[in-house]
Amino acid sequence: MSPEPLCTKIPACSLCGEPAVIHQRHAGHFLCGTHLIADLEHRVSETVASRQQIVPGDCVAVALSGGKDSTALLFLLHRLFKSHSDIRLVAVTVDEGIDGYREATVRSAEDLVRRLGVTHITVSFGELFGDSLDTILKGRKTQACSICGILRKKALVVGAERAGATKLATGHNLDDEAQSVLMNVLRGDLVRLVRNSGADSGGRFIPRIKPLMYVQEKEIATYLMVQGIWEDLPECPYAIHALRREVRSMLSGIEYRHPGTMLRLMENKKILETGFSGKTGEEPVGYCRECGNPCSGETCQICQIRHSLLR
Amino acid sequence: MTLSIKKPPRKVVLRRMNLILPDRSIRVIDPAPATVEAILQKEGINPLEVMVVRDGLLIPEDTLVSGDDEIRIIRISHGG
Ligand SMILES: [Zn+2]
Ligand SMILES: [Zn+2]
Repeated sequence: MSPEPLCTKIPACSLCGEPAVIHQRHAGHFLCGTHLIADLEHRVSETVASRQQIVPGDCVAVALSGGKDSTALLFLLHRLFKSHSDIRLVAVTVDEGIDGYREATVRSAEDLVRRLGVTHITVSFGELFGDSLDTILKGRKTQACSICGILRKKALVVGAERAGATKLATGHNLDDEAQSVLMNVLRGDLVRLVRNSGADSGGRFIPRIKPLMYVQEKEIATYLMVQGIWEDLPECPYAIHALRREVRSMLSGIEYRHPGTMLRLMENKKILETGFSGKTGEEPVGYCRECGNPCSGETCQICQIRHSLLR
Repeated sequence: MTLSIKKPPRKVVLRRMNLILPDRSIRVIDPAPATVEAILQKEGINPLEVMVVRDGLLIPEDTLVSGDDEIRIIRISHGG
């Protein structure tokens, strides 16, 4: 290590003494680029293994928006599994049709799959629902994230089915997951709060997995930065309408002042899941009477949106 | 150029620290040694929501910076 003037000293990596790139407050140490990469890849492979998210024989559809989380997810899974001949990765990109936003991220997604040599499937809202998100949302922008979320979920499943996937992996990180717990509390949505997201779907859905669920957003961004694949991309123009945006800023402030808060929220959610298992009176999963797709209730959310669009 | 001859020698130039904010605007701040964390706090920025680069190198917010450092703040925007 070359001596630095005292007044510009960078904290040293807790593992090797090299200049650190990140202060992992929740773990109470500093890591250099090399050790951050090792730490993240180790933690993600632990999550994948302990929850049996990916097993030999799996074809994993990786939801790749081209944004930071999905880029890190595909990059990381590729590094973990490229030498496993019995595990296949296919990238699935949904083009919602968001003017001035999606173009850059779709291009970033294409660059990445080309670089990694991963098969790439793109599904567009236009192809699936007849219109771009921009058109669908005319006059209802405040509902953007809930409508888009439902439609995008559907589009991802279509893409995963086309890929012949046995698992659908998304880039949700610890911040996203902790925000969702808090949002369900704020909305008073007890059913969602205690629902076991990893529950067996009885073979009706392609199981969804979240390998980054215990990795903080900042760790992901830093991981991309030290690998030289960070891209400063625009934020979705509809995000300003979302409750999530407020929760995100509040929660990240609390996490900064009280490190470990997000992880504790996730632990509490797990306790709730176990305690309320089978006690929420949630309707059993059935099939939509209009399109026949699996859903809870009489008509699925897609058909409900389709109706509200016709109104 | 003749003009440059009249410039004072570099060592007496007042030191200044350039802070490049996420919107790419540049702010000249107090060059006295301070942690990046303290600088971010003054700007109302949560260190968990940004990455900080000094002269092209990623640094933790606990790093002490001063003088002629150029500090770039990169916002980590939400979106997967
Ligand atoms: Zn190290
Ligand atoms: Zn339906």
